[in-house]
Amino acid sequence: MNGATKDTDRKRPRYISDRKGFFSAEQAERTRKRSREMEKKVRTRLSSAKGRAKALAYFDELMRYDGVRAVELKEFREKGGKVVGTLCVMVPLELIEASGAKHIRLCSGYYEPVHPANELLGDAGLCPLVKSTLGSKMVSSDPLVDMADMVAGPATCDGKMKLAEMLEDWVPVVMMNLPRVKLGGTSSELWLNEVLHLKRKLSELTGRKVTKKALVERIRKWNEASELWNKVCDLRKGKDPPISGQDAMLVVQASQSDDIDRWVVKVRELLKELEEKVRSGGSVAEKGSARILLMGSPMIYPNFKIPSIVEESGGSIVTDELCTGFRLMADPVLLDDLSEKEIYSALADRYYFPCSCPCFSPNDERLTRLFNAITTFGVDGVVFHSLRGCHLNNLEATKIELALRERGIPMVKLESEYDEGDVEQVRTRVEAFVEMLKARRKK
Amino acid sequence: MSDFKGRNIRPLRLASQLLGVAFVLSLLIGIPTFGTFPVLRNIFLPNASCRYINSAPTSCYYYQVQDGLVQGSSGFYLDLLILLLAVVIAIVLLGRFWCSWLCPFGAVQELLSWVRGLLRIPPLRLKWAHRVLLRRVKYTLLFLTVIISLPIGISALGISQCQSTLALPFCQVCPAKGFFTVSQQVLGLEPWGTTLPILAIVSLLLFLVSSFFLRNAYCRICPMGGLMALFGRVSLPYLRKDPDKCTKCRVCLRVCPMDHDRVYDEMERMDVAGEDCTLCGRCVELCPEEGCLSLTYGPYDLVSSRRPRKRWWSLPLNKTRENGK
Ligand code: SF4
Ligand code: SF4
Ligand code: SF4
Ligand code: SF4
Repeated sequence: MNGATKDTDRKRPRYISDRKGFFSAEQAERTRKRSREMEKKVRTRLSSAKGRAKALAYFDELMRYDGVRAVELKEFREKGGKVVGTLCVMVPLELIEASGAKHIRLCSGYYEPVHPANELLGDAGLCPLVKSTLGSKMVSSDPLVDMADMVAGPATCDGKMKLAEMLEDWVPVVMMNLPRVKLGGTSSELWLNEVLHLKRKLSELTGRKVTKKALVERIRKWNEASELWNKVCDLRKGKDPPISGQDAMLVVQASQSDDIDRWVVKVRELLKELEEKVRSGGSVAEKGSARILLMGSPMIYPNFKIPSIVEESGGSIVTDELCTGFRLMADPVLLDDLSEKEIYSALADRYYFPCSCPCFSPNDERLTRLFNAITTFGVDGVVFHSLRGCHLNNLEATKIELALRERGIPMVKLESEYDEGDVEQVRTRVEAFVEMLKARRKK
Repeated sequence: MSDFKGRNIRPLRLASQLLGVAFVLSLLIGIPTFGTFPVLRNIFLPNASCRYINSAPTSCYYYQVQDGLVQGSSGFYLDLLILLLAVVIAIVLLGRFWCSWLCPFGAVQELLSWVRGLLRIPPLRLKWAHRVLLRRVKYTLLFLTVIISLPIGISALGISQCQSTLALPFCQVCPAKGFFTVSQQVLGLEPWGTTLPILAIVSLLLFLVSSFFLRNAYCRICPMGGLMALFGRVSLPYLRKDPDKCTKCRVCLRVCPMDHDRVYDEMERMDVAGEDCTLCGRCVELCPEEGCLSLTYGPYDLVSSRRPRKRWWSLPLNKTRENGK
């Protein structure tokens, strides 16, 4: 009945028949080492930033390579606990917690694991985030990723959908048929059924029934978290943002793998410190820096290349339109009726309708969110980044650029890979852009 | 119910609804004070100030309309026109505020919904096509009332003998008639068995059952609502939406007891009240976007949505029942 016994009769691997022998131990070791080095570099850079809030140290520790979270989860699993990996922002984390399992975000921001995936797939045009995630699993280079007992993968873009399918070679995967054409009632129903399917799979995995009580309790907790996150973001509306764009992304991404109860406590501490900072007029941005909105493809820690370049070039990221940033926790689940059916439909709706992922069509919500953010955060210019091979964001960039032009908001479009090779080239463009914004403002 | 929301409009509305019920009842029962103010006898309220109460000094306004249609032919419908004019002015000034804030029918339906909620029974959700169909019913009822009442009153047509059976056509199927006739007989205010209005009793039962499962079931077909909806576009109170702030999260549509699609769909115009919105403000309470939805009177926003936060009554009160065994 439960997942464990099913494991034995799982289908044969489809993408790698010889899982163990495909890579040398050396390559695995090299991938691990480079990942560790990369993360350390990023962490050092982040934590040495001037005027950085002290409460952020917790999130550094949590997100570090081979950090506390992996150890905690290992212990949790030894006691029979189950861990569910998620691939996109549409998976209701409340549900995973209500089933007694813990969640981690699988998407990888490490550069090195791209190589093993390239060797297997030979697809240079595929999104590096997808390849990196696959690669980490292939050579087992990320201790956190290895904790997953099951994967929940909404079929968003082609890359993610096939990634979920490929991961099935290692762990059971629950594919979620995300209705990519938003049609109102019909799409809502379809997605609700997918969420209910996930619920059944989760109970099979943990051997526990997902009770309504537990779910409502988790929803309340996540609502609290969302409220806090919104408050943190509100502080960035003022002249002196007390937290950098990168740190904000770190915080919100931590929620995807942390225990949300603890996250809430830590963010509350952080909020207090930030509020204090605002009161005393402290700012992490230099005087006169250009206020930037960051959008485009996901940027998963430690791939903070683009935001770090922006913030080193005299830009201050005051908000973003990223699924790995503001959007992650922007929306609460608003319960109107406490019957089981209505709770699930409210939950499913929250993870579906307000999501402005470019995999959806129509996706005018993204423009609305963007323009709303531009006004409320006093944004000077938009940095649009797309990962090489992320067609969806590339396509939307055109539409967004035209819409921005109409409103007289400058935008720069960047493309990046998962390596350090393009840093200088990107930096030159960003610096020019920021200078232009500053000059514009003086006029 | 929900302890996580932006605004809290419901308590105010509840108070207003109770006042509405009390007011209508005191009109009906003819509390002595009202007797001394003859003006009050000319207050005709849309619903449930029912003519079928013996002591009622006044009547429901829809009764007056029907009556005017029948009796008016001799007086060139002057009375009716004056009444309509007064009502149109009232609708322009108050819009459908009547519905969610005062109407006793509305209050009873909400009471039933509330009980259903306590029993954790999910509301019936109609398909879009069925909702649209229902929406037409109220205009149809309005139309039928006129079509049936008018000719009866015109004596030249020689069908005035139908008066006894067909006059006041809507009253014959109005749940209020069923309710008040039966309850008066039960209370002994009226002798038993003086003509039982079978049709009206059936529709009373239908009313109770349907609005238990379907939120605001009766409002969807209420001809008074239809009349108000006809003037919805020009009335001063309305539901305002700032489409620039809407994230299309669909919360408003999910919580709207009238399934008023426009509040969600509309992305161009500011006025999203339209025919079906009863201005209950539920969507304003729960819309998570700051200043996106507002209850508005003319140029003034009465209350606007804001980012939801945890409310003080949160945890202890809202115990959810464990599902299953
Ligand atoms: S970045 Fe683009 S291609 Fe890559 S996973 Fe996301 S949507 Fe898909
Ligand atoms: S639609 Fe009719 S029954 Fe409903 S609240 Fe309005 S007047 Fe009352
Ligand atoms: S609740 Fe508010 S933000 Fe959400 S769809 Fe309705 S109007 Fe838009
Ligand atoms: S649209 Fe809003 S105010 Fe109008 S009836 Fe629906 S919930 Fe009430």
